[in-house]
Amino acid sequence: MSTATAAPERTRASSTGDRLKDASFWAEWAALVGLVVLVVIFQSLNSTFLSAGNIQSMLTAAAILLVLAVGQTFVIATSGIDLSIASAMTLSAVAFGQAFTRGWGLVPSMLLAVTAGLMVGLANGLLVAKAKITDFIVTLGTLSAASGLALILAAGKPVTVISVPLLRLGTGSVGVLGYSFLIAVAVAVLAHVVLFRTRFGTHVLATGGNEEAASATGVRTWRVKTAVYALSGMLAGLASILLIARVGAAEPAANTAFLLNSVASVVLGGVSLFGGRATIIGPVIGALLLTALVNGLTLLGVSQFYQPLSVGIVVVLAAFLTRFQK
Amino acid sequence: MNSSPRTARILAITCLPAAALSLSACGGDSGSGSGGSSAAATGNGQIAAVIKGLDNPFFQTMQKGITDQASTSAKQVTVQAANAITDTSGQADKLAGVANQDFGCYIINPISGTNLVQGVAQLAAKNKTIVNIDSPLDAKAAAAASAKPATYIGTDNVEAGTMAGKQMSTLLPQGGDVALIGGISGDVTSNARLEGFQKGIAGNVKVVQTEAADWDRQQALTKATDIMRAKPAVKAFFAANDDMGLGVARAVANAGKTGQIKVISVDGNKDAFEAVKAGDISAVVAQYPYVIGQMGVEACQAAMAGKTLPEQVQAPVQVVTKDNVDKALASAPKPGEAYDDPFAKLVTK
Repeated sequence: MSTATAAPERTRASSTGDRLKDASFWAEWAALVGLVVLVVIFQSLNSTFLSAGNIQSMLTAAAILLVLAVGQTFVIATSGIDLSIASAMTLSAVAFGQAFTRGWGLVPSMLLAVTAGLMVGLANGLLVAKAKITDFIVTLGTLSAASGLALILAAGKPVTVISVPLLRLGTGSVGVLGYSFLIAVAVAVLAHVVLFRTRFGTHVLATGGNEEAASATGVRTWRVKTAVYALSGMLAGLASILLIARVGAAEPAANTAFLLNSVASVVLGGVSLFGGRATIIGPVIGALLLTALVNGLTLLGVSQFYQPLSVGIVVVLAAFLTRFQK
Repeated sequence: MNSSPRTARILAITCLPAAALSLSACGGDSGSGSGGSSAAATGNGQIAAVIKGLDNPFFQTMQKGITDQASTSAKQVTVQAANAITDTSGQADKLAGVANQDFGCYIINPISGTNLVQGVAQLAAKNKTIVNIDSPLDAKAAAAASAKPATYIGTDNVEAGTMAGKQMSTLLPQGGDVALIGGISGDVTSNARLEGFQKGIAGNVKVVQTEAADWDRQQALTKATDIMRAKPAVKAFFAANDDMGLGVARAVANAGKTGQIKVISVDGNKDAFEAVKAGDISAVVAQYPYVIGQMGVEACQAAMAGKTLPEQVQAPVQVVTKDNVDKALASAPKPGEAYDDPFAKLVTK
């Protein structure tokens, strides 16, 4: 199993032989390099790591983070940041749970969840783009507001959501690819197309690169900014559906780990925090890397105290590598 | 230019109750109960309670125990709660706020052993009765504040863990490997429950792995899935709270091993009882925050009536399995089985 995965890497490396000497190549692909190194280490220490079953559980576990990382990427590409992404997900999940227990049915509840996320994102976008308040402060505020609203709506209590189609979404798979992972991949592919094949994508990168220049060339930057936050919120809403499918409950507790991991995935993926340059594949690999890291450490039975330390080291190392980007 | 309306809007947003980050410069009290009716002048006869964050169902239930007991005994009670379970300084501010008013008795549930020490010192200086519930006030800190709580009504998490361990040995008479899922790494409650569990298990039950899942259902699900993969011999899981227990149960169900792999958790939430009933969780060691809150008010009543309180009282802890889950569900939030309440006889009805 391990040789099978390592082989394509080797061919790829030799075909790009010259670029290997270039530091910026490594910087560009820091996440991929890290992922391959981790896979090799974990597999040599524990052969269950690359078993089909474990790959399936890793990919399924990564799905939520993948969707959030894609949303975060769009925001960071405009040189913004969305600190409210995880609490928007919590609020969406609670909205879903409340609607579902009131007998709304599955599809309307899902739509409500996505709408709730979208509303948080829109609020962020308009406050940043129209009211011209610093993104950091706006999304810090909505982080607090959305998790507060979630607690109010849910009266602080988790709601159990039992639905056969949702359960199937959470547990079903095609081969090793769980349904929720497939949804996340579809989101990522769509995001890639939007970012690199549409005018909107070009405007996003232009706004992040140099807002004044973009504005001067006719890009309505406030619209672009509003749109990226709205998109991020909407994806948080979608992620909440995956979360509920996974755990079978809508919980109002704040998932701060998802916020930090979404930003870490984007940085690991080589996306510039100053905006203007971004990929989708980078953050996707970054999210997979973070998930694989925790999975591998758990498989190896590494003490719980060492896990946050290892995650921190990997994130900082990757950020260091991105310094060599051109 | 016209920055003030914008600032106002931002302030309005940040002043909503915060769970993850407490932007606590907003002044408003999020405490519930009869917050405004303090009637500071008369003082006597009223009770103030400062408990942990209401973002956790455990403390919501505790609050209900406090207000229910107060209303059945026609006492007025003001309940203040921390903004979040980690909001140590905010909780200290809340206590400082009520300590300046002239309540007859104070119930405190400190987040850490020392975070309320300033307020406690204030109360001690005024010679007020302090009833310490749930988490103990650090003995040295209390001595430094020259305070002595009239009584401590405790949740013994080590004992709860030990009962879980014993129950685990009953479920696995042949012994076998078990994995532990704890809360946030280094958390006191989690450590106490896990430590108690290891005391309670028989020699043939072996703990092969301990993981931290931050009290979170999703993380517990992921960790349990990984552990089952790495160590297929694992026969059971012990989770330090019900939420994580439910996550583990989901992982076990996903693997199609419900019933074969045992799950035990601690807390006693309704969802966990339902899972016991459905067979997803083998046993829940239930603590009763409702009773802790209730006893706290009873202790205050007794103290204000001049009675001497027992120094230390353990709140009930009961093992709920399929055999008695119906009873537990029916009587929730009170225990299904009988328990000892030494304050009940001190309180003249």
